[in-house]
Amino acid sequence: MLEIRNLVCRYGKVTALKGISLTVPEKQLVVLVGANGAGKSTTLRAISGLVPAASGGIFFCGQEITGMSASRILSLGIAHCPEGRRVFPHMTVLENLEMGCYLRSDGKEISSDLDRIFSLFPRLAERRKQVAGTLSGGEQQMLAIGRAMMSRPKLIMFDEPSLGLAPNIVEQTFAIIQSIRESGTTVLMVEQNAYAALDMCNYAYLLEAGSMVLEGPGEKLINDPHVREAYLGAGLAHA
Amino acid sequence: MDQLLQHLVNTLIMGGTYALLGIGLTLIFGIMKIVNFTHGELYAFGAYMMYFFAVILGMDFFLSIAFAIVAGMVLGAAIEFTLLRTKRGADIDTTMILMIGAWIVLQNAEQLTWGGIAKSVPSPLPTEPLVIGPISISYLRAMVLLIALMLIAGTYLVINRTKLGKAMRATFQDSGTAALMGVNISAIYTMTFALGSALAAAAGALLGPVFVIAPTMGDLASLKAFAIVILGGLGNITGAAIGGFILAFSEEIGAGYISSGYRDAMGFLIIIIVLLFKPTGLFARSERIG
Repeated sequence: MLEIRNLVCRYGKVTALKGISLTVPEKQLVVLVGANGAGKSTTLRAISGLVPAASGGIFFCGQEITGMSASRILSLGIAHCPEGRRVFPHMTVLENLEMGCYLRSDGKEISSDLDRIFSLFPRLAERRKQVAGTLSGGEQQMLAIGRAMMSRPKLIMFDEPSLGLAPNIVEQTFAIIQSIRESGTTVLMVEQNAYAALDMCNYAYLLEAGSMVLEGPGEKLINDPHVREAYLGAGLAHA
Repeated sequence: MDQLLQHLVNTLIMGGTYALLGIGLTLIFGIMKIVNFTHGELYAFGAYMMYFFAVILGMDFFLSIAFAIVAGMVLGAAIEFTLLRTKRGADIDTTMILMIGAWIVLQNAEQLTWGGIAKSVPSPLPTEPLVIGPISISYLRAMVLLIALMLIAGTYLVINRTKLGKAMRATFQDSGTAALMGVNISAIYTMTFALGSALAAAAGALLGPVFVIAPTMGDLASLKAFAIVILGGLGNITGAAIGGFILAFSEEIGAGYISSGYRDAMGFLIIIIVLLFKPTGLFARSERIG
């Protein structure tokens, strides 16, 4: 469904991605793990059209999307749930969700989608008139996920969904992401919480300093000695 | 007491147009982070357009106001399109210098086009003031207040009730995430600048017939607009509206009870006092544009 071929991205003189390739098959959950600054977020930002590609190509459903505007890519069906949740703090829960379907104009479908999000996240329904900045971290994460779902994406990308959340909320967030995949939406997730991410995915990639160094099914990475030492804290992984 | 009542009425009338000026400037700063030194020139441009449509073309007075506002909107969009669009992501100092240059060019263009002699626009309304008890109000000034309030309410509705307004607020709060939602940030910037400019031109078109129209009229308007925005807190629309009335009030009271020669100084005295005690502006903590 999504394919990246030899993608190179630069910020000024710094090369953030040194020719990476990655494939996300339909209805699967693919995870991108790696340390801070490895280029995980840049990869997602490049897919969304927020960072230009210096070379290489990005293809979605057989169509090249490299160089397209962010709004065009979103309307083709790729939603991006950014790192740190980034809800609009002074807008209400409802307005945030409405921003998620900014490009849509099918009013009736929108209201049924809103109902669906509210039944999925009853906490948001209770707080629909509340300003998003006053929600708890977990509620903001639910809102960010709901907002991304409002565009009716074929592929939804999550950037560090567990960041800064309490352990029980992290578990809940991963369960929701799992259920999104089960309902038929393809998922590409960037995650620091490597063990949990590798455990739940269909396929995983390890990014180090802008290059893909390892890929395979989740178990393969979990059992890889290098991954165990550098990312899982060997010995603690299965504790 | 009677004198105070009259001053309060005058405050309302000037406050309405000051609020228009301030809202336009704070909108542009809040959303685009641009210190718009051309704001006063858009005010002058609105006044000259009023003169052009109402006096030179002899069009209907009220229609001329509407046309002058639209002309201001077009000029604002043109400034944004030609000067600022190429400087996306440039730091605030760069755009500030650019806008200072544009200010000088616009002011001289006004002088070149219309000459240095002040113009006036005759009012079609009765010149006899409306007298209610101890208060007298000219029909023209009452009309200015009414139209200013309508424009303020209209702006408020656009920002809080329309899809465009929602996109503007989202851009103000987090432009990167707004782009992820599919908002065309560049188009929002152009529309914001056009809207802010239209409000400045509206203030000029409304006050032009009250006072006289001269090429340098924009300088003081710019200074006052900045004063209002600082009073209300940068990027705060409600704050700018209230700031406009506070400035008008302090000018009225200062001119009425201290010395009319210091009318324009009073506002700045208030700014100094506010900045000494509350440097973020009076309403910085209350609700911002979003």
